[in-house]
Amino acid sequence: MLQSRFNRLSERLLHAGIAPRHVRRYARELGDHFDDLAREEKAGGATRELAETRALSRLGNDDALADAMLSRPELRSLTSRFPWAVFGIGPIVLLALSIVGALYLEFWLLNHTGGVFRYWTGQPPGPVTAKLATRIYTVYNTLIIYGGPLLFAWLFYRIGSRQRMPAKWIMLGVVLVCILGGFQNLIFYDKGYVGGGVLLVQSDLIPPFSHFAEHIARAAMNLAIAGGVWWLSAKRKASHAMVFSRTA
Amino acid sequence: MPRTWMHAKPMATNPSFMNGVPELLILRTLEASEMYGYELVQTIRAKTNQAISLGEGVVYPALHALEREGMLKSRRKLVNGRTRVYYSVTRKGEKHLAGLVRHWQHITDAIGLAIGGTAHAAITL
Repeated sequence: MLQSRFNRLSERLLHAGIAPRHVRRYARELGDHFDDLAREEKAGGATRELAETRALSRLGNDDALADAMLSRPELRSLTSRFPWAVFGIGPIVLLALSIVGALYLEFWLLNHTGGVFRYWTGQPPGPVTAKLATRIYTVYNTLIIYGGPLLFAWLFYRIGSRQRMPAKWIMLGVVLVCILGGFQNLIFYDKGYVGGGVLLVQSDLIPPFSHFAEHIARAAMNLAIAGGVWWLSAKRKASHAMVFSRTA
Repeated sequence: MPRTWMHAKPMATNPSFMNGVPELLILRTLEASEMYGYELVQTIRAKTNQAISLGEGVVYPALHALEREGMLKSRRKLVNGRTRVYYSVTRKGEKHLAGLVRHWQHITDAIGLAIGGTAHAAITL
């Protein structure tokens, strides 16, 4: 009973925008406080039932406990205060930063792994090492451009659902990251001579739209995967909620 | 919505009068030693001779807010097999407390004079 009461309180606070870390800690501290109060009442001679009733009454009713938290706007999360920034601007910033970061790392690796390729192939820089480097960095680039947007879509879903944000905001973040992420490209190829490596970062959202259809397909694929995962997650949550309501 | 989470006799219905009191009592009590929520509430009750009885559960938002403002810091501590969140006052909190104490002494001095007594307002929690 106590747990379901704290769960209801937590849900109310999360929906009102209180940061999940404060809500979790509040519920845990209230639970501990209740145990202490019940112990104190029992030590004073009360029966278990009476001790728990008194402890609950001393702890405060649901409205008072919720109001105390809600009267402090500083405990609200950034996500609930600025949803337009998190779900509207966040995807653009995150994708841009991830591409810059991935590009920086790749550039650093390219400058420091020449010896490794020579060691693996047993050959000086030339067509053989160039082919190997191109293959390896193509795998890296593919992981970044395919995996990055899906990872960020999951991140926005997680941030939004933890804060019990309205679905429209979460959807905005997920859709933006899937579409914009589908249009970015990172390419590397090595021409086989020193200084002959080419590293390109592209977005087909700006002219000349050379692979527009391919990027549309990738954006659609991102959306399909993210939508599928969302649907499965919502289905799982619904079945958990059903089990919870039966047991509560 | 008032931030008052305590009930003083007879000013319980005057939230503006109680503004800053929760912070003052929390900081003053925690200044002596670190405590967890239950311990803090019981200490305040005892030290105010139960004239100020706290709405026990609602002390935590005040603690969270003070910690967020850098007045308090918290740490988890395992006591008798249970993990407790212990709060203690920071240097910033000590400075803030000194300001609050000065402010309240000024007010209580003024009230003491107004009701015809002498000004004696040492806060001795």
